[in-house]
Amino acid sequence: MRATTTTTTTAKKAKKASPSPAGGANAGAIKFGSTEVKLSNLNKVLYPKAGFTKGEMIAYYLGVADYILPHLKGRKLTRKRYPDGVGKIFFFEKNCPSYHPDWVATSRAPSSDGGDGPNYCVVENKATLAWLANLAAIELHTLLSKGEDVTRPTYMVFDLDPGAPANMLDCIRVGFRLKEMLAGFGLDCFAKTSGGKGLHLYVPLNTPVTFDQTKGFSNAVARVLEKDDPASVISSMKKELRKGKVFVDWSQNDDHKTTCCAYSLRARERPTVSTPVTWDELKSAAKRKDPAALVFEAADVLKRVKKHGDLFAPVLKLKQKLPAL
Amino acid sequence: MARRAIWSGSISFGLVNIPVKMYPAVREHEIRFNLLHDQDKARLRRKMVSEATGREVHPEHIVKGYQFAKNQYVIVQKDEFESCAPERSKAIEITDFVDLADIDPVYYEKPYYLAPQSASAGKPYRLLVAAMERSGKVGVAKMVMHEKEHLVALRPIGNALCLEMMKFADEVLGVDEVQGVPSGATKIPDRELKAAVQLVESLSTKFDPEKYHDEYRDCVMKLIRQKAKGEEIHVQPVVAEKKAGRATDLMAALEASLAAAKGAKSNGANGHHRRRRKSA
Repeated sequence: MRATTTTTTTAKKAKKASPSPAGGANAGAIKFGSTEVKLSNLNKVLYPKAGFTKGEMIAYYLGVADYILPHLKGRKLTRKRYPDGVGKIFFFEKNCPSYHPDWVATSRAPSSDGGDGPNYCVVENKATLAWLANLAAIELHTLLSKGEDVTRPTYMVFDLDPGAPANMLDCIRVGFRLKEMLAGFGLDCFAKTSGGKGLHLYVPLNTPVTFDQTKGFSNAVARVLEKDDPASVISSMKKELRKGKVFVDWSQNDDHKTTCCAYSLRARERPTVSTPVTWDELKSAAKRKDPAALVFEAADVLKRVKKHGDLFAPVLKLKQKLPAL
Repeated sequence: MARRAIWSGSISFGLVNIPVKMYPAVREHEIRFNLLHDQDKARLRRKMVSEATGREVHPEHIVKGYQFAKNQYVIVQKDEFESCAPERSKAIEITDFVDLADIDPVYYEKPYYLAPQSASAGKPYRLLVAAMERSGKVGVAKMVMHEKEHLVALRPIGNALCLEMMKFADEVLGVDEVQGVPSGATKIPDRELKAAVQLVESLSTKFDPEKYHDEYRDCVMKLIRQKAKGEEIHVQPVVAEKKAGRATDLMAALEASLAAAKGAKSNGANGHHRRRRKSA
């Protein structure tokens, strides 16, 4: 057959993406040991209001890599991809695309009927982080479980989401109440901003526990908070009921739900980051009625991690037991 | 095709290499049901339970054992499976072309469609389809998907390439393994054979797949739609309500903890006046 000239071989494709004069500064490749990651469209603006490009996003994720990687390792990952930038079409991607390079780890989850669920990507190294950033995977959301066993969370989460006109300051108030309530059981918890308007509270467990337990417990916590202060807290999902209240979302404590990873960018107008914060910072922002003090963009976060290290490190290490009630 | 590709790779034969995407050629036909508890309609989940202790065993403690003699097992670990896994390859390598009629339908398992991955792959794709059409041949190839090796046949359907997943020869049982099949030497009177052939011919027609419907499926789907319309719908109970007793205890304990925290420190970052203003 005389079809030899009409082919597109993979070798040909690989050549095209390597750093070449044709690509200019808009494309390139970056090496991690022997692994090379090809980067493309680096000048593409992903956040038009901030002029933040894909190249800057890759630089952010590599700059924060030492801090975000421990939170990604071993966890099945859902990506929220924005091929044309924020405000444009996006998609949640669970399955690791079939074209993933060999050095990208994958992990298949069982489906609820016991069959095969999605085959997720798992970020184990900087190369994978760079590869995902190059795919415009702005937001990185992980399962609450680690490794193959998807029935066991390593932490319990509460997503405090304010319904306007409630705001971050209301979330802080509810957050402190939640923290104190848990302290009564000897449980410590840690906070990060959602990167949007709300607050995420993480209760490290790292002990044998099932989602049935964390779901039941977190639901009770949310309902007690609502009962205690029905004017400003709501524990139910219904959007129309949320007006002016803080929604304490406990439902993410589920084997197939993901939460936004610490240090993940958010696809908002500006490149804000879901940023771990101290309780002192929350207290002082509340005191000064200054929610803006808790908005951190990519560049701020790179400075913060240099100064504070990983404020979320205990979430992965601290062993705590849910009280058996 | 608006559906999502389930695999991508490339067909290779000789020096030709055609990047393709693979799509299912059949849609799910079976009606899927979830199993519920008849009392509160809660979803039921399967649990792996040890025969020895009756206790649940979590996935990290589950290994695969092959029973080579009664009650005697050989354990094969995950990394040991990997030593046998076919090399990850993205190629559908056509090694032979055969006559379509040479392949007995018993070998066919599941059909898929292949489409060129890009405009530039369109021409070699078209070339392969045309060549197979003219020669009346189908390609036989091997490919790796989901860490397993598959035997496949590539044949044209209309302008598209159909990939038929096939069974390996050792999966197909010989007819001699079926008991009670009379041999071809069994005598039958010529008159009876003629009458039977006549009957067959009188019923002969063109195969029209549209003519046949899965009436059982249609009936069940109709039933489901009617029930859903009549609002005979059972909503899943909320998790906390499922364990009402436990949840009540837990809530009481949480309330006590909250009250204690409030009593301990009436200062804190939470201005009570803020709350009052909101509820006003």
